[in-house]
Amino acid sequence: MPKVQSINQNLQPDTLPNFRNMGVTLRTVLLVNGMALLVGLAEAVSWIDLAQRMIDISALLQPVLLSNLLLLFVLDPLLKRLNYRQGVAAVLVLAGLVTLAIYRIGGELYSPSGEYGFFHAVRNALLGSSIAALLLAYFRLRVSALSPAVQESRMQALHARIRPHFLFNSINAVLGIIRADPRRAETALEDMSDLFRMAMAYSGNMVPARQEVSLAQQYLALEQLRLGERLKVTWHMEDMPGDALLPPLMLQPLLENAVYHGIEPLTEGGIIDIRLYRSGNEMHLEMYNPCQEQGDHHAGNKMALTNIRERLALQFDIEARYTVESGKDFYRVHIMLPYLKEENS
Amino acid sequence: MTIVELPLTVFVVDDEPPARNRIKELLGDCSDQLPLEVVGEAGNGREALAKLSEISADVVLVDIRMPQMDGIELAKHLNKLPKPPVVIFTTAYDSYAIKAFELHAIDYLLKPIRLGRLFDALSHARTAVPLRTEELRELTPEPRKNLSIHERGKVHLIPIQEVLYLRAELKYVTVRTVQHEYLIEEPLTALEKEFATRFIRIHRNCLVAKDEIAGFEKVTGEEDGETHWTVRLKGLSEMLPISRRQQFIVKEFG
Repeated sequence: MPKVQSINQNLQPDTLPNFRNMGVTLRTVLLVNGMALLVGLAEAVSWIDLAQRMIDISALLQPVLLSNLLLLFVLDPLLKRLNYRQGVAAVLVLAGLVTLAIYRIGGELYSPSGEYGFFHAVRNALLGSSIAALLLAYFRLRVSALSPAVQESRMQALHARIRPHFLFNSINAVLGIIRADPRRAETALEDMSDLFRMAMAYSGNMVPARQEVSLAQQYLALEQLRLGERLKVTWHMEDMPGDALLPPLMLQPLLENAVYHGIEPLTEGGIIDIRLYRSGNEMHLEMYNPCQEQGDHHAGNKMALTNIRERLALQFDIEARYTVESGKDFYRVHIMLPYLKEENS
Repeated sequence: MTIVELPLTVFVVDDEPPARNRIKELLGDCSDQLPLEVVGEAGNGREALAKLSEISADVVLVDIRMPQMDGIELAKHLNKLPKPPVVIFTTAYDSYAIKAFELHAIDYLLKPIRLGRLFDALSHARTAVPLRTEELRELTPEPRKNLSIHERGKVHLIPIQEVLYLRAELKYVTVRTVQHEYLIEEPLTALEKEFATRFIRIHRNCLVAKDEIAGFEKVTGEEDGETHWTVRLKGLSEMLPISRRQQFIVKEFG
């Protein structure tokens, strides 16, 4: 089995943030500029003065900030090899040095009075490192604030996947065919076994799309056993790279919702339409199913979807998007996430 | 001469073919010790109701979660039959229904059904009393999708979406659709409670469908000469009087 890479943004508190994640970059830019605004506000005496101060601060701040982000982006794989303490030290030193360097290069621009002595150099380096330290502390806190959610979502994900309704109905369906069609019953039990093995071995690691699809198809075969002709599924996977990585068991809970809320309430059944494709650097998943229920009192529905949304937010921050469109008689989910390939090493 | 007891007639309702098959197999296993006969099966409530108007059954095994008409609604309509069968509910998993059954001490079978449990339930069926409609009403917060009347041995369904108004008259309630008028024997207060989302009370004895209100008109009474509001419903020429107490409706829906 090919090794799959974990691209979790950071699920343990003691790891540096992923400096190649757009969410991390955006948060850094916003927070640093926010701090600058506070400093400006504290010193300013009028609105004009505030604007002037912000221009002065920005002149040094933006080059420092952008160079730091660029360097961190480039050095990210190297930083990942260090342990957390070493990583933090490296980032702090880097931030200090970059500030110092830019200040030096800027020369006259930053110190029109010509006074750039030892004090100014030390002050700027310290400021750079300190802001970096504050940001690292923020990211660490954010992860530990979210990590109970990680644990919980793991439990929920597990629970959502072994939905009792599905479990007992499937067992009942297998019992219903065991005397008449023992071979089909055997296959059904094997499918069930695969599905539950996957659910229980949940690791958070990304899995190749084709593996995720074949698991979803095993799940659908079980539902087909119960629902027969009523359940029809159309797959569109022509533009899906098989080696694209997806979060594990993302498809199956979505399908289970579609079956439970979309197909089961219809006497004649209906069609679930699934589209998986790559567009540039993004992987798209679109699922469309009929849906008759309006006043939905089944909490399970929302739970499974909230769970998927949380998992996406934790792993990809703002790089994943998730939209739901719910009409009078249909339901559509569209998920976008970064296209990542399986490593063959 | 010995009295030969007729076999127990059983009807199976479940939307999943393998689940029906399983029950029929188990019924076959039971028949060694308990004379019984499977007289039919259906994949949903409507079909079951149509078939059970033709053939009679002592016991109906009903799945709770089914498309179109769930098992509990089916049981309510079955009660309108001249000889209502004993209904035994089956479910794989439905925490709400199970809680309700426990609360009202109503017997049910959990799927996968065990042979012993099925046998016990069937053995008691001959002496069991069919569930009362009031009991069934308390099992689910969901309103029925149809009203039903008993007509020449058959149960006729009136989809609730077609009902324009419900008016209490003496012992009966008149159910009005665009085409027809029916009489049912259910208290108006219970109907008002069950279908609160569709109907609004305009008078002590009358509920009208909110979505079917076409307009309001002020009318002068011929006898007392006093003016009062009336409501006109889509597709009906008849005007229904609104009582003084309910006149706020004119503002709300006008």
